[in-house]
Amino acid sequence: MTNKDSGDVRFLMGNEAIGRGALEAGCSVATAYPGTPSSEILESLVRWKKELDHPIYLEWSVNEKVAFEVAYGASLAGARAMTAMKMVGLNVASDPFTSAAYLGVRGGLVVAVADDPGPHSSQTEQDSRFFAWFAKVPVLDPGTPAEALKMTLRAFELSEKYQVPVLLRPCLRVCHARQNVPLSAPPPVANAGPFEKNWTRWAAIPKFRLALHGELNEKLKKIASEEPDAKPVLIHKGSGDSISVITSGSVSSHVKDVVAGDDRLKGVNVYKVDIPFPADAEALQQIVNRCEKTLVVEETYPVLELQIQDRRKVQGRLTGHVPSQGELIPELVEDMILQAAAIEPPVRETPKVKPRRPSLCAGCPHRPAFFMMRKIFDEAVYTGDIGCYTLGINMGAVDTCLCMGASVGMAGGFAKAFPNNGKSTVVGTIGDSTFYHSGVPALINAVHTGAQFVLLIMDNSTTAMTGGQPTPAHDRLIDGSPGMGVNMEKLIEGCGVRFTKVVDPYDHDAMTVALEAAKAHTFAENGGVSVVITRRPCVRTPDAQVLEERYEIGPDCDLCMTCVKDLECPAISYVVGEKRMEIDTDMCAGCGFCLHVCPSQAIRLKGD
Amino acid sequence: MVEMIICGRGGQGIVFLTRQMGQILTNKGINVISSETHGMAVRGGSINSHLRIGDFSSPLIRAGHAHYLVSLDPSETRNNRHFLSGDGVIIENAPTPDEPGIRRVDATRIARELGRVQLENVVLLGFASRVDGFPVTLEELKASMSKDPREMIRTSNLQALDAGSAAADA
Repeated sequence: MTNKDSGDVRFLMGNEAIGRGALEAGCSVATAYPGTPSSEILESLVRWKKELDHPIYLEWSVNEKVAFEVAYGASLAGARAMTAMKMVGLNVASDPFTSAAYLGVRGGLVVAVADDPGPHSSQTEQDSRFFAWFAKVPVLDPGTPAEALKMTLRAFELSEKYQVPVLLRPCLRVCHARQNVPLSAPPPVANAGPFEKNWTRWAAIPKFRLALHGELNEKLKKIASEEPDAKPVLIHKGSGDSISVITSGSVSSHVKDVVAGDDRLKGVNVYKVDIPFPADAEALQQIVNRCEKTLVVEETYPVLELQIQDRRKVQGRLTGHVPSQGELIPELVEDMILQAAAIEPPVRETPKVKPRRPSLCAGCPHRPAFFMMRKIFDEAVYTGDIGCYTLGINMGAVDTCLCMGASVGMAGGFAKAFPNNGKSTVVGTIGDSTFYHSGVPALINAVHTGAQFVLLIMDNSTTAMTGGQPTPAHDRLIDGSPGMGVNMEKLIEGCGVRFTKVVDPYDHDAMTVALEAAKAHTFAENGGVSVVITRRPCVRTPDAQVLEERYEIGPDCDLCMTCVKDLECPAISYVVGEKRMEIDTDMCAGCGFCLHVCPSQAIRLKGD
Repeated sequence: MVEMIICGRGGQGIVFLTRQMGQILTNKGINVISSETHGMAVRGGSINSHLRIGDFSSPLIRAGHAHYLVSLDPSETRNNRHFLSGDGVIIENAPTPDEPGIRRVDATRIARELGRVQLENVVLLGFASRVDGFPVTLEELKASMSKDPREMIRTSNLQALDAGSAAADA
């Protein structure tokens, strides 16, 4: 390690600031499962580790539950440890998370959970502060990237002081914001001393859990009453006591800018709470009592609002003054505060926004896999999953999408509900990383119960949607140190699957053969689940094969639009005004699958 | 205080432009905060970055507040126009001529002539740096990009900046 970063100020993303904060807190073990908007936390740690030659151990874990447990084990061993995930990842890790609150920690343990109000890239708008409350875990809520770094340090400090896990909850507007952030040199890694066996705590049976619950309640009371950041802090002083805004986290930065930038709001006080749970409820009540009106602006659940006991003078989510869903963008915040101040908000025209539809990349191996699946299974029910391949909805190839791994479990349910209805064939699709994450137990269940469905594992050898993180099939860990690749075929065989085929999705004929054979196996009299692994590296990874061939559309094209509607290739488009189709050779990746798709055989190799 | 939206399609290098400007301003000791689009939208969807220079806490620009709208794709200009203030300037990658309040350059064509269409973002930035009041200069951008250790990328980025700037003189 060097001191070369002292005095260094960088333009850092919130997630990078959190990674940096972990090192500046002496953290020596960090784990994560990728998920937008949290993925860059561990990614940045990989870069910081290299840049500083830091000894921290880093892993992309198989899922969030395991990520939490690895970090928790490291904490009991005496290390400062961090685990990072998105908010739905905390659902997966909820079992160890809630139990760990009772048992407590040794080395500081920080659980960084990124929330996605909007939601922009997630299934829910759940508020991890509320989850922290449910689990009785203290939570810190940063408002900017620079604050995220400071609060990461603070989270480790609190965790060790009170021997509890601490949740750090950045919202997307902190995670993916960038700001000038001052850096300090990381200290040597922290060490809480060797683990001492004590089963009444670390393996507590229910009798001891009761006592531990009591201890946890005492810790929370103490944090709320003694820690300065559990109290509301005045971040913008108004000229009177008529209106106060109480806020927390990323939305507090909008509140501050709106109030500071509008002379008409000079009477408004703004208070920010950095530990929204357990907050100092008495201090919140004093603000409410002192003011004529208090507006609570927080994302996405009424966490601070509910901790105020007498809410007769409070406006917020519970009173309908703050919308109960959707991101609190600055325009909404401005309108809410103006309304609270009895000033007419500006008339806003709804912007005429037509967002461009995201699409699987040109050359994406998922596209031919989906196309062939639709061709062979036609009107089947397609249970889908979480990843780039959710975009199979554009191709009519995804009928359901619930949560990580649900394609496999739900396919079992569809198959069992109508076992003898020949029309209701079920085909599931799941990516390689998602399969390792939570598809495996569901596959064991399907084999055991004899569920009749076909499963396509779309193996592009990466976690593509979140930026290309490695999967357990890789034989290197993220920092380049050796790992052991877990073979997918052997894993599937070990689950008891009797039919598995591996096929290149670019290979039209081999795909046809493999899918027909899987169909025959699954829907035979004693059939069961069959697995087809469509394997080709993601076009965005260095492992992708570079194909120089380019294609063009010849005169036989009758504008049937199969290439646009069924194949949905973004490199092919209709040229308005010229009544012809065109292939964008800059975008085309040369997969050539469109040759097999065009009913008029109008597509040909360029230069032929 | 300058507020700027940078927009385009996923994959056009919007985040790269935002980071370049942010780091240059950071090195000059100027407060800057930005917001980026990640996730599903990067697969060819609509992308924008907000860049706010000055004493701001929030990374988001309100409708009607942006001084510049830097757009890599005209259809995305439409999606972001509401952010622009009344006297704001649009700087757009398009083959059509300038209009009042809109400066245009065919960055895609210039990038293709340089050998890589992916350079269109840097060409547009070189062009934008020559627009009145733009918060970073061509010289600052060149100094920043000349620090890239990867020779091929460094050389082509510097060429693209110059080509964009030259188009402003044409």
